[in-house]
Formats: sequence, C-alpha cells, structure tokens
Amino acid sequence: MQALIGASLSASFGEVHALVGENGAGKSTLIKALGGRLRPDSGAIEIKEERVSFARPEDAHAYGVRTVFQELTLLPWMTVAENLLIGREPRGPFGLIRRRRTEQEAEALLASLGVEHIDPLALVEDLSLAERQVIEIVRAINARPEILLLDEPTSSLVEREVKWLFREIRKLRDANTCIIFTSHRWNEIRDIADRITVFRGGRHVGTFIEIEESDAVTLMTGRRVEALYPALPPLASDEPALAVNKLTGRRVNDVSFVLKRGELLGVGGLAGHGHRELFFQLFGAERTTSGTISVNGRQVRLKNPRDGIRHGVGLALVPEDRKAEGLLLAVSVRNNLSLSIMRRISHGGVLRFGFERRLAQAIVTRLKVRTPSLGHPVGALSGGNQQKVLIGRWLLAEPRILLLYDITRGVDVATKRELYELIVHLAAQGHSILFYSSDAEELARLSHRVLVMREGRIAAELEEPDITAERVVAAALKDTVDE
Amino acid sequence: MSNAAVAARRNRWSHGLGQNAGFALALVLLAASIVVYCAIYFIAQRRLPGGFELTTTVNNTMPLVFAGVGQAIVVITRGIDLSIGGVIDLTNAIAALYLGDSLLSMAGCSLLVLLVGAACGLFNGLLVTYGRVQPILVTLATLAIFQGLAIRVLPSPGGQVPSEFTAVFANIEAPWSLVYIAIVIGFWFCFRRTSLGVGLYAIGNDELAAQAHAVNVIRTRVAAYVLSGVFAAVAGLFMAASSTSGDALTGNGYTLRSIVAVVLGGVNLFGGRGTPVGAIVGAFISVMIVNILFFAQIDPLYQSFFEGLFLVVAVLASGGVGHFIRARA
Amino acid sequence: MAAIDQTPEGGAGRAPTTRFSVTQDQRRILYAIAAAIVLFAAGGLIRPGFASLKSVEAVLTVACFVGIVAAGQTFVILIGGIDLSVPWTLNAGAILMMSSAASSNARMPLALALTLGMGAVVGLCNGIGIAMFGVPAVVMTLAMNGMLEGLTLGLSGGLTCPTCAAYAPSVLQAVAHGSVLGVPAILWLWLAIILVATFVLSFTIFGRATYAIGNNSRASFLAGINVTRTTIILYVLSGTFSSLAGIMLLGFGGQASLGIGDPYLFQSIAAAVIGGVYIAGGRGHYIGAVAGAVSLVALVSVLMALNMPEYGRSITYGVIILLLLLLYGRESSEG
Repeated sequence: MQALIGASLSASFGEVHALVGENGAGKSTLIKALGGRLRPDSGAIEIKEERVSFARPEDAHAYGVRTVFQELTLLPWMTVAENLLIGREPRGPFGLIRRRRTEQEAEALLASLGVEHIDPLALVEDLSLAERQVIEIVRAINARPEILLLDEPTSSLVEREVKWLFREIRKLRDANTCIIFTSHRWNEIRDIADRITVFRGGRHVGTFIEIEESDAVTLMTGRRVEALYPALPPLASDEPALAVNKLTGRRVNDVSFVLKRGELLGVGGLAGHGHRELFFQLFGAERTTSGTISVNGRQVRLKNPRDGIRHGVGLALVPEDRKAEGLLLAVSVRNNLSLSIMRRISHGGVLRFGFERRLAQAIVTRLKVRTPSLGHPVGALSGGNQQKVLIGRWLLAEPRILLLYDITRGVDVATKRELYELIVHLAAQGHSILFYSSDAEELARLSHRVLVMREGRIAAELEEPDITAERVVAAALKDTVDE
Repeated sequence: MSNAAVAARRNRWSHGLGQNAGFALALVLLAASIVVYCAIYFIAQRRLPGGFELTTTVNNTMPLVFAGVGQAIVVITRGIDLSIGGVIDLTNAIAALYLGDSLLSMAGCSLLVLLVGAACGLFNGLLVTYGRVQPILVTLATLAIFQGLAIRVLPSPGGQVPSEFTAVFANIEAPWSLVYIAIVIGFWFCFRRTSLGVGLYAIGNDELAAQAHAVNVIRTRVAAYVLSGVFAAVAGLFMAASSTSGDALTGNGYTLRSIVAVVLGGVNLFGGRGTPVGAIVGAFISVMIVNILFFAQIDPLYQSFFEGLFLVVAVLASGGVGHFIRARA
Repeated sequence: MAAIDQTPEGGAGRAPTTRFSVTQDQRRILYAIAAAIVLFAAGGLIRPGFASLKSVEAVLTVACFVGIVAAGQTFVILIGGIDLSVPWTLNAGAILMMSSAASSNARMPLALALTLGMGAVVGLCNGIGIAMFGVPAVVMTLAMNGMLEGLTLGLSGGLTCPTCAAYAPSVLQAVAHGSVLGVPAILWLWLAIILVATFVLSFTIFGRATYAIGNNSRASFLAGINVTRTTIILYVLSGTFSSLAGIMLLGFGGQASLGIGDPYLFQSIAAAVIGGVYIAGGRGHYIGAVAGAVSLVALVSVLMALNMPEYGRSITYGVIILLLLLLYGRESSEG
C-alpha cells in the first residue's frame, strides 16, 4: 500500500489515542486497514496480542473493532431507525422483523445517547451532514465495540455535537474501550486525547502524551509552520472586482460583500452554513431568489456556469469534490484540461489538436503536474496532481475571478505548498480570489480579509492584523453553543 | 445544523406519506381511474359496471400483476429484468402442453413451471453478479434465449388447459382471483421483514454501504432475480388459465408493460425506493386505462398512444408531487 | 463508476504511450471486427460461396439498416441514455414516407423532409422530457414508442388508408437497390454516415461534450458544457436516424408494413455494446457499433446457412451475445 510505509501504532484499552498528520500522511489508510476495508501489503495487526487479518469489515467486527470511516455508509432512502439497526433488528414470530419495535428501539437508543433531536423516522437523505455523521457514530457505539476507530469524526460537527461525542468517548474509555481517532483540530485533540501519535509521509514519527501544537505541526509537515505559507502580496488596489449585494438563495441569506482586485478573500465557517451554496450561486450553478452580482462594476445575471465563464465575466469555480464534480476520471489529462476552453481551441466546431496539446503541455509544466503523459486518464493520478489538473483547467480559461472551494483538502503537504504559492502568485498578478477552507489556520495565513459565515449570513469580517485561526473559529461558533 | 430545540416530531403518517409519495399517488390514480371508468361505463351502458366486469377485469390483470411484482423486486435492487416476457412465453407454453386433467398432473406441472421460472431467474442472477454484466444487457440476451426455448416447446399456438385449472385461477363466476392478490400482498408483508427483504432495499440504496452492513450482496441480488423469474412463471400460469390454451408469443408485450406497471406504481427506477404492492396498483391502473378507452369508444388503434401519454404524464406528475411534499418537510 | 485503465481521449481511441499497444476500448472494436471475420470464414466453410464478395455485400447491405439505427443509438448510449422508441419511429417513418410520397417522385423531396422532420420531432420530445423534466430515458422513450404506435395505427387506420398500399417512389427504390461504382448505393450512404459520425465524435467540440457528459454530467455542467442542449440534440439525431432507416427500408422492400421496426431495437443496442460502447456511457465509438452490426448480421446469416430453425437462431443469438458480454465484463474487472 503506497500510503503507508512501515507504519506502526500501538494503543491500549481504556485509552483515547489521537492520530495526527497532514492530509495524505496515511492516517485514513491506517484506519481503513485496521477497520477491515483495506488489506495491507505487508506487516501485521495484532489485537490482544493475537495476530489478525481482515478481508472485510465484518472480519474486524468479529474482533470487536468498529469503525466510523470518513465516507459514511448510510443508506439514504431508508429511515434513521432502519440504518441504526440494520442487521440487528428486533425479531418477532417466524423471525420476521418487527418494524414498530425497531423504531421504538431506535428512539430509545438515540435518547440514551442524548441525541433525541434526530427523528428516527426521518429519511437519512433528509438529514444534514452533521446529523448523518452523528447517526454513523451512534451506530458504531451501539455495537459496543472493544476498539472504536473514528476517522475525522468531527469534520462536520458543531461545538455542541463535538461535546456530545467527547462525552460518549470518555464513557467508553472508562468502560475500557480503546478509542483511536484522527483529527485536524488541535483544541479537540488537546481536550480529549490521552496519547498522540504523529504520522508523516506514511510513517510513524512519534508518540507523545503531551506535545505543543507548533511542535506537532513541525513534525507533521517536516518544516516550520512559518515556512509553509508564503508571504502575502500587498493589496494593489481598492477597485472592486466582484460586488455582491443582498444575495439570497438556498441557505444563503442576504449576503453582501466586495472582492477587490488582486485580493485574497477568505471565507470561513462550519459545514452547512451556506458557503458551499454561496460559491455555487456566485458561479451561476445554482439559482438565487434575490440580490445582485456585479463583475467589474457591471451587473450580471448568471443562469448557468457558461454565463460566468464567458470572457466578459471571467469567473471560475474549483468545487469541493474534485472526483464527483470536477474531473472526468476516465478521460485523459489533456481532455480534462481543455474542457472549458473548447471553443477557443477550435475552428468552427472542429478541434485543433496541436494547439490543444501545446496549451495542455504548457499548463502541466507550469503547475508541475506529475503524469506519465497527457493522454493518461486523470483518475490514475494522485490526489494532489488531480487537484492541479482541475485548477489547470480553470487557469486555461483565463478567469479574472477565482472561486476556490477547499482546494487543499486531501492533498499532500508538498502539493499544498505549491498551491499556496500559486494562489499568492495569481493574486499578485491581479486575479481576485475568493476561497473557502475548512482549515482555519490556512484561511488565516493566506487572506487579506476573512468573511465568516454562519447560518447563511456573514457573521464577521476580519481584517489585518486581527486575522487568526482562533478568531475565525470563534466567529463561526458564536451563539451556536447553547440553547 | 439541526435546531437547538428538540424539533417537533412529525407523526408517523406524515412521514409515511412523504416517503411513499409515489405509492400514495398511485392509489389516487387508481381511484381516479376507477371513477372515470364507472362514469364512462354508465354513459355507454346506462348502468354501473357489475360483478361480471369486475371478474373479467381482475382475471385479465392477473398476469400483469405478477409480472409487475417480479419486475418491481428487481428494480428495487437497481436492476431491470427485460426477460420477464420471455419467461412468460416459456412457462405459458409448458403449461398449455403439460397440464393434464388430473389434480396430480396440474399440481406437478405447476410446480415444474415454477421451477423453470426460478431457473431462468437464477441464470439471470448469476450472470449479473458473477458475470458482472449490466442487468439491462443480460436480460436483453436471455429474453432472446427464453423466447427461443418457448417456440421450441410450442412451435404454434395450441395445447389445452383443463377447465378445472381455469376455474381455480381465472374463475369466470366471481373475482376469486382477488384472493391471490391478497396472498401476494401477504407474502410481501412477510418478505419485507426478512433480512433478504431489507437487503434488497439496501443494495438498491448503496451497494457499498450495504456490504459494510454485512448484507450478502451476491445472494440478495440473485434472490431478487430468482423471485422475478418465479413471479413471471406464475404470470404464465395465469395467462394459460385465462386464455385456456398456449401461445409462445403471448408474453412478449409483458416486459414493457411490467415496467409501466412498476413506474405507475411509484417504484423508483434507480432503485432503493417503492414497494411491489405499488406495481399491483400500477397494473390495475394500466388495465383501467384500456377499459376507459374502450368504453369511451376511442378507436382501439389509438390505444397505445393514450397509454404512452398517460405514462409520461403520470411520471411527470409523480415527480412534481413528490418534490412538493418533500420540500414542505 | 468507470474502471480506470488506459483510455486516452474519451474512448475515441488514440494509442497511449507506446506505438503498438492498444487501449482496451480499441481492443473491443478489434474483437468485434475479428468476430465478423471469423463468422464470414465459418460461413464460408459451412456453405461454400458464403464468403464470396457477393455474399459479403448482401450481409453488409442488411447490416447497413442496423448500422443506421445503431448510429443514433450509439450517440444516446454514450451520454448514458437509451432510445427505446426506435421500433415505431422507424415504422412511422416508413409509413409516413410511403403515404406522403404516394409513389410520386415529384413529391419525394417533400415526403423526405416531412419524414426526417418527424423523426427529429420525436427525438426532440424525448430529449426535452429526459433533459429538462428529468424523466428517466427508459420511461420517456418507451412512452414515446407507444405514442407513435398508437398514432401510426390510428391515423393510418391499421394501414388501411388510401395511400397505405402505395409503393415507394421509384427513385427511392432505385437508390435502395442501385449501385454506384459496383458498390450498392446504400453502402455509400452508410459510409457517409460512418465518416460523419466518426468525425463528429472524434474531432469536434460536440463529440467531446458528448463523452464528457457520459463520463460525469455534473462535472461537465460545472465546466460550462450545455448538458441540456447536447442531450436534446443527441436524441434528435437518434430519432432522425431511426426515421431514415425506415425510409431506406421502404425503398428496399418497396412497401411498408407493420412491425418492421421491432427487431431493430435489440439489434441496435447489441451492435453498440458488442462494439465496445459502454451501456453506462462515456466510452466507445460508432466504429465499434458498425463492426458489431456486421457481426450480428453475419451471425444470423451463418445460422440460417446452418438451416437452423428460427427458435434455434434466437437462442444462439442470445448465448453468443452473453458470451461476448462476459468476456468484456471479465476484462474490465482486470483493468
């Protein structure tokens, strides 16, 4: 398995063990191997000093190992109750499942864990991302595991739910369960972990009972924090490139702001609070009910992405899920790159292959995309290189305004550094960049200004010198703590 | 995130309606079509349709009911079974040839027919799971194979179905066949509550997730196709009973008609949602439409036109209504 | 989910790194061609003269009709759809052509325009329902097929209308039966279609957009491709090709009857799939469907040469298609 090279970890019962490392450091891969979803090429897993080998998650279940993977395994068109108790439904005469009893048991289960607010009769499809993650966690806990693995369990949760989760984790630990979880959020790790293991580049770097965040980051990235982020160029002008006025749409409530030319405007906030929808609406990929968008002083009506991409407007969106929304995985690097500029590289509808190849090669060289050839299918490239291809496609479209949504997610450290430099370089050249990141530190380090969204509105605007990761997180969480 | 205060719970009925909007709409459509039918019948015949009409309608619909249920079971797993028509051809031919006058012969032949249906379904299921070929392609090919076998068994229409058999399955005195519908509904009620039944929905929702919950994907999927084959075989038996003889081409239209029944019944073609009981409703809706067209004295040549039109309108309406209900949630 | 292997451009097939290695998609096209050759050879062994030029020409002529319908079907399958309205679009086309031309050569241009227009309108309805209203392709095209059947039967009175027993105009028959430079005119027509379809799929923006949508319609939409318009155009093309096939069948047979379109549904889909077009869309090429069509017709001819009764043909047909599908299925899981 490429993602892990001689990785090792040891954890005890009655312990909460945190696994930290950058994206691509191998944390998820290790969890998948321990949880039975991946077969390691070599090495051993020992549970209670007995060597085990898992071909499927069920094998792990047999050893009391339960996992909450990052990719949720919920059945969207079935109810919460059905999802929670599948395989373990209460049976009646003739071994038939008792539906009503299942619902009642689910209700009781949710209540016993303090999650009454989720309706067991609701379809999973209708739940928010956070609620789904909670259900996935509840299901794992309900199986009373001896070893509980959690891969980024808090990525979509808000403060109150995180507190709930940690309460449950502590209960499990006191009942002698071994809990291993991965996280990016340092305050959480500090809060709950008994021991911390740091991974870098697929290898185990060190295990600590206590470690300072900056030391950990240095271990994780192999360099000092300061060196990771390039210096920001000064803001060249005050000229507005993008002006949004009272924009309202799905999950977006009366949003107004200005993006200046050459500015790096960061957007922060928790999942589900509207920034994702805002980005799609700014791009014309989603409808808005009211409000206006102006580009370079001229109001524009965007009914679809084509309207935004046009040269006169010059918008580009790099979406969150590059595999589902960005790239054509079975298609070549070259064809992926030229997807948005086909008109430009053709003559009366007929493509000019030579021109296309030259443009593609130029951008591949400029972004240092590592691929065996231009004809290689994009799905075979690594996450970081895939992201570069996606960004490359948009750069070829020569946009004025770039909307970047969480582009460093799932990308290794080296590529991240390259992307940071690219973004900063683009801003210096006069491109205007609106970007969202789930990493508050990244947001703080790369922005001239930060807008924090909460419940579809702009809850706070942070300007130099007040832009820090803590402030971003605080602004995102304010007032959602207690009811 | 969910509301801070504990959300007011929607009651069971409200949930049931929202989640089964397709089925509810099918019931509404059926009721509406029955009303229209009665109205047109009254205008044409100066009286309301009576027992005779009910009996004939039910008897005529039985094959489609079973074909629809079989198709629905496969569709729920995100598959499709185009070979249903071929299985009906084959089983109808066998029934017409081998149904003898004695009770033993009738029972034995019926059992043979069911086994043949199951074997056809097993063949489909194994090809889809182990062969990794898309269901639409497998069943397109097996349709040709089963049709060929049917013609081999019964090269030209013929055979004789004993009157006792007809009396049991397509009784012309009274709508006894409704009992069989009740049996199917009862069967589904139980099957839905088995692991296999839950598994059908699980693999239709998300195959990978289903696997993560120890659902045996292969066994469940094969079971779905076997059931489809068995139900198609039953449809063939009913067909033999009501037409009293055999015809190896008689089932050909049933593939597409079973899909129509499934769609009208609110079962989602992409899998994971809907109930085969809906296909039963859908089957009756299609037959009602034919009856309505007949008594409204629409030129029978135009029948397919209205059936097609109705299908599109029903799907559009169902999509619109479902959207509306869930948006209000 | 697409299997990851060495495909260069969306299935159009240029060799990857080394000169002589062949992509999986190209390999399937070669299999289909190989199958056709094998069938001709086998037929030649069974019945001498089967592999002669005349006989091959006859097979190609019959395959041409499948090929024309398969062109439209391939386009639609490439974006992940399907066209089940082929049978009655074809049939309606033949009948409409027959009755509007009414054996008159003078009225032929008008009849031609009318019939091809009908096919286009059918495709337009399909496309609008599928792309704009989200009706599943299976349902929409199925319903359309039924509506056409009803309209055709109804308007022609079950083919009893005054002009319904008319013969096809002599010009049309001449085109269908005539030869140019020793090759049947109809094959020249097919060649033209092959060239145009290949060009469109491999060399134009429209072709790229088609493959893009078939691979990932959401990503294509976000990249600025007009998914709705492309989808509608593809269904319009399919409907037009079906009605064109109906016109040619009319010319070939002299008269139109009911049910002539039915066999073409299965055959057009089978031809495409055998030729390596993925039923889920995004990969494959019309050239493969051409090879597939020839193989299918060659297969039927061989079976007839074996004096196999009709039911045997049906069974063998299905079995061979299954074998080919299994072969492709095994391959892609290894890829």
